[in-house]
Amino acid sequence: MPLLELNGITKLFGKLAALEDIDLNVEEGEILGIVGPNGSGKTTLINVISGYYRPTMGTIYFNSKKISGLRPDQIAAKGIVRTFQSNVLFEGATVLESMLIGSLLRYKTTDWQAFFETKAYRKDNEEVVGRVIELLKTFNIFNDIFLPAAGLSHGYQRMLGITLALIANPKVLLLDEPTTGMNHEEAMFVVENIKKIGEQGVTVILIEHNMKVILNVATRVVVLNFGNKIAEGKPEDVMNKSEVIEAYLGTETI
Amino acid sequence: MPPAEILIDGLVQSCIYITMAFGMVLVFSILGILNWTHGQFYMLGAFVVYYSITAAGIPFPLSLLISGIIIGALGMLVERFVIERLNAPGYGMMYVSVATLALIFFFEGAAGMAFGLMDKGLATVLPGVLNLGSFSVSYQKIAVIIFTLVVMIIMYVVLNRTKVGLAIRAAAQESVAASLYGISVKRVSLLVMGIGCALAAMAGAIMAPVYTINPFMGRIPMIFSLLAIIIGGLGSLTGAIVGGIILGFLNSVIAYYVSYLSEFVLFMLVIIILLVRPQGLFGAPIK
Amino acid sequence: MPYFDYKTWIPRIVIGVLIAIFVILPVFTTSVITLSIFISSGIWTIAVMGFTLVLRTGQFSMGQAAFMALGAYASAILTVNLGMPFWPSFLLSGIISGIIALIIGLIVLRVGGIYFSIITLAFGELVRIFAQEAEGITRGVRGIIPPTPPTISLLGFDINFAAGNPVPYYYFMIILVAITAIIFWRIEHSRIGGTFASLALNQTLAEHQGIHLMKYRVIAFTIAGVFTGFAGAFYANFLSIITPFMFGLWQSIQIMMMSVVGGISSIVGGALIGATILYTLGIYLSRLPIYNIQYVVFGTVVVLVLLFLPKGTGLVDLWGKFWRKVFREPDEYEIPEESEMAVE
Repeated sequence: MPLLELNGITKLFGKLAALEDIDLNVEEGEILGIVGPNGSGKTTLINVISGYYRPTMGTIYFNSKKISGLRPDQIAAKGIVRTFQSNVLFEGATVLESMLIGSLLRYKTTDWQAFFETKAYRKDNEEVVGRVIELLKTFNIFNDIFLPAAGLSHGYQRMLGITLALIANPKVLLLDEPTTGMNHEEAMFVVENIKKIGEQGVTVILIEHNMKVILNVATRVVVLNFGNKIAEGKPEDVMNKSEVIEAYLGTETI
Repeated sequence: MPPAEILIDGLVQSCIYITMAFGMVLVFSILGILNWTHGQFYMLGAFVVYYSITAAGIPFPLSLLISGIIIGALGMLVERFVIERLNAPGYGMMYVSVATLALIFFFEGAAGMAFGLMDKGLATVLPGVLNLGSFSVSYQKIAVIIFTLVVMIIMYVVLNRTKVGLAIRAAAQESVAASLYGISVKRVSLLVMGIGCALAAMAGAIMAPVYTINPFMGRIPMIFSLLAIIIGGLGSLTGAIVGGIILGFLNSVIAYYVSYLSEFVLFMLVIIILLVRPQGLFGAPIK
Repeated sequence: MPYFDYKTWIPRIVIGVLIAIFVILPVFTTSVITLSIFISSGIWTIAVMGFTLVLRTGQFSMGQAAFMALGAYASAILTVNLGMPFWPSFLLSGIISGIIALIIGLIVLRVGGIYFSIITLAFGELVRIFAQEAEGITRGVRGIIPPTPPTISLLGFDINFAAGNPVPYYYFMIILVAITAIIFWRIEHSRIGGTFASLALNQTLAEHQGIHLMKYRVIAFTIAGVFTGFAGAFYANFLSIITPFMFGLWQSIQIMMMSVVGGISSIVGGALIGATILYTLGIYLSRLPIYNIQYVVFGTVVVLVLLFLPKGTGLVDLWGKFWRKVFREPDEYEIPEESEMAVE
């Protein structure tokens, strides 16, 4: 039983089909790469899965339960969490503040318990803050926890985006071009961490332009072009298919 | 079918709302803010005209222009020294709103101090009425209608046929791209504020002989212009015109039938529009 | 000398002393005028706290005074028209105001930004118009005169709420403001405060982190409605009158001004400072011989404060600045040299 099932997903903006009849199954534990030239619908796909957009046609099932049409916060609560390409920050907040206000899903206690600061809440809070600090340390932004997040370089803002997604207790992690704005070392650092995340049992869907990253970490790849799925399979196989090379001609290098 | 006088009255009101709403939408399109003081510029325009005619003896048409120019300049001062500074990143629309709201107090108080609180009446500049069979229309009211038509035609020409108008339209649609083409958004903002306030002032001026003049006369036109641009759609100039027409007639007609309910109905209408179709008739749809 | 965390405690002690002064103020003066100023400031503080809380979720409500009107009329109608005794009616007034806030909020909070602001403006006007026109219930423009609260016997003393004796009202106000402040302070500094803030700072991101937009907007709006209702009911009682014009658009505008000028970075502190300073300024200016200058000065002061305070701060932030200067701390967090994250 695939963990995530997309059936006939179509997303229209007026007359423009950003996504056309996409069928996609995601198995638990895999790291699925989604590639394609600019405008092929990759981010739209993430937006539809995460609930930001309603699909015009088609359904999405998660653990056999229908999630298409739910609100983003409902979908996130079910364990599907995403990162953003732009608009990634809480305006004006520091790194630590951003993580704390975004960590609601990791708490087990209710708002009432938090308000009255019960014993259960205090314990819960300690764990959550501990996990926040752990994540910030892992992604090398711990030194700047009191800095405004907007002051970080773009690469490190992406790291913060990843830690934000991770603190939300994901079962499925949707990463939208996480290595943009990073140099080679930083990108490989993210690759290592994605592998570790995968080992911890999180299913990852990874949109990427950087082929080195995809070849390095993805177990399976799906190629989109003009809103259609044009190829699917193992990274090395897919990359050599003629349709894929044609779609990319002039737009991407491997 | 309400009597013709009510419809004419509705038309006259429409004209005022059109002129003011047009000015508000211009400012909103470029600056992204609602100028809550708009009504006070209407009021000041009326006062300028009053003194220009009674104290300086300047004929009405010239006084009208003078009030537009003076108050337009005043608007530009406000934009330059208050709004521009508060519309920057780090502040935002909320601060501009609070500042322009505070300026309402400022201008009304200043007008009260300078001109006194007593209602003033400007003697009808265009005396007489036009007899159209079963009813008659004062020339003053006809002047309002003609004035509005002239102003709208001028605005159309300026916006669509001149370089300046092109700059304004470009800045309204896409300010970043416009600045890359060498259009100074700052200058355009200043100019647009001047035009918007001048329009409000001239609306007040042309209405000065029709109703009484006092420092608080701008409040109701402001609220109604706001309602007009909601109906028409916040960013849309066409919407301002259509909204103004609708509102003017609605207000007049409803008041004729059920006087105390007209305000209530209008506010309810606004709420419903904002809930169901916030972009109004012509505004850009929002996600 | 054992280490005494003076940086934390001295400001707190100063605040404590100020609170103590306020509490024992009636010992030094029973002047109706002075105490009335503080009573009114306290009332507006509560309303401003409500406004700022809603602002924390990213919504700019231009109709908060309407909830004061709703609370005031609820209390007045319950006592005068329906014969309910004072204290139960007072409690109900806040609850009724809260319920109306809940219902309105569920409908209206779906919309954001300027559209929400205009809807709240319109709502405020609708409340005023209703109060004006529904003569049968509200007695229209004549208004209702709520009865004075009954005398309370406490520990052998009689607390008499008669007109002309502001002291019991003063303590009633202190208790009301204290309870509201404690609750709002707690909200701001607990997890739910952070949740509210996330909605204002980046709505989309917050939603994708599992935060239910409508739920938290409605919660904030309702809480604000409850306490603003209490404030309105109390105020009407204190002034012994409630008319449709007491809590209209201009009062909503003043609430906004008090909040922004006071400072939105601290819900309680900003409200206290903004409400007290602007209200007192208004009263003082109304005494000036030249009529109308009060409006000119008031408007100018607000605009100047906004222009000359540093970006996005209010008067309340001066408190923090003052203590940092005294203790000679840097204003901004300085990036340590060794941090590899230092942005050029």
